[in-house]
Amino acid sequence: MLALGVGVAGALAGCLGGSGPGSASPSPTPSRSTDTRATPPAADRAPVVPHDAGRLRDATVSGGVPKDGIPAVDDPTVVDADAATFLRDDDLVFGVVAGDTVRAYPRKILVHHEIVNDRLDGTPVSVTYCPLTGTILGFERGETTFGVSGNLVNSNLIMYDRATDSRWPQVLATAIDGPLAGRALREFDLVWTSWGRWRRRHPDTEVLSEETGYVRNYGVDPYGSYAPKRGYYARQTTMFDPLVTDDRLEPKTVVLGVRTETGATAVQMAWLAREGVVDAAVGDDRFVFVHDPALDAGYAYRAPAGATVEATGDGAVRVDGQRYAPDALPFDRAHGVEAMWFAWAGFYPQTELHAYP
Amino acid sequence: MTASLRRRDGRAAFLIGVVGYLPLYLAAIGHLALGGRGWAVSVVDDPLVRALRRTRPFSFEPVARVVAEPITLLVSPLDVTVAFVLAALVGANLAVAVVVWRSPSTCGVGESAGLLAGVPALLTGAACCGSAALFAIGVSASGALLTAIGYATPVTALLLGGSLVLVARSFDANAVRSDG
Repeated sequence: MLALGVGVAGALAGCLGGSGPGSASPSPTPSRSTDTRATPPAADRAPVVPHDAGRLRDATVSGGVPKDGIPAVDDPTVVDADAATFLRDDDLVFGVVAGDTVRAYPRKILVHHEIVNDRLDGTPVSVTYCPLTGTILGFERGETTFGVSGNLVNSNLIMYDRATDSRWPQVLATAIDGPLAGRALREFDLVWTSWGRWRRRHPDTEVLSEETGYVRNYGVDPYGSYAPKRGYYARQTTMFDPLVTDDRLEPKTVVLGVRTETGATAVQMAWLAREGVVDAAVGDDRFVFVHDPALDAGYAYRAPAGATVEATGDGAVRVDGQRYAPDALPFDRAHGVEAMWFAWAGFYPQTELHAYP
Repeated sequence: MTASLRRRDGRAAFLIGVVGYLPLYLAAIGHLALGGRGWAVSVVDDPLVRALRRTRPFSFEPVARVVAEPITLLVSPLDVTVAFVLAALVGANLAVAVVVWRSPSTCGVGESAGLLAGVPALLTGAACCGSAALFAIGVSASGALLTAIGYATPVTALLLGGSLVLVARSFDANAVRSDG
């Protein structure tokens, strides 16, 4: 009898408590009045979204968790670097410099929450991480917050904003459903590096602490590990079929990509690390990818057509004969997104690619 | 089944089942892990509300973390309750199986196949975070499979309970037969 009770109670809980397992979390609620001050601000230049929004909505699947089943951190606390005894030098972190604020977000915390709603230099932001696509992106959230919808497209996290419940695939940075469908988010870049490297570059850095308001085993990554590479990150198979399969690289190969209003280009990170500087283009727009050996990270810049850009071989970059640090070239930065190749190629099937020949 | 628990070997089997299954289930859902250092207890703000929040179809937010070196335990009251119920069912199945095995005169009693039924609930770990556990054994997910995994816990409870009912029935039938 007890067994029956548990079984029935369990089934009821599944039915009553919102969406049942396996069903995609419900479509956005019908539009309420949209107070523009409370919605995330729109990007000045919207990145290309090659797939039709309808196709993306059709390709949306449940990740096996209900809405907010993976809870975003809404009340983050930060500590000074010295107080971060829970971090080892080889733990991966995502770093950002915003005005006077220098902050690192440990991957071991983000893998359990995927979204941190924070403030950087007074600006309300969301730092978002998707473990399955290996992508870290920062967005301006306005006066609202983002949450984890529980759904995925192309294995990528689909966020929802709490003002309108519109749905935003993280890498596309564009809403595909809900009252804000079509709007693109204002992005900022974070650097994917290790705690030891980040701390050497920025000794005064703060770091997100494990006091997130939730209790979790932050020492355990449910998908595997990065150092050493184990589980999901080590195997080339994906959990869900990509939107488009592209054999130019193995699926989990890390690339650094740039998408503009018209197209996309990407460089294999290992190739960039070897070359130091890689030239690329999207249509008539020239970009240079630059490797930063001290952080083992990469950046993308918009470069004018005539400039000569080359690696010095000792970690710096020479632009028209003048030396610069890799993170301080005299060009505008372009948003560079590190991603697993299958995810990048799935979202941007026509992407240009620079890789080992 | 109660007859099995009246016997010493039945009670021992029951305890072994409970003590063995309980940590396995909690580990499978990610609430029990190795690697704790020192001793610490922390509790979330507003634990009563938090305890009702679902992280997975049949799993709920932990409200406390207990570190007792070398283990770390996340405490979600509802999950712990489910774990106890399942563990008790596994123990009961084990008790019946042991008693049946050691009773020379019972014939026609179906062996408790319910022990294997405990396995699906261990796969509820797979319902976490997109089927990481399934993936670890090389099975790729699909919408249908994720749906199935999400229901693993109640299905397991039904299988374990059903197996007990079946064995109890055939025990009774056997008793009637031997009396007559």
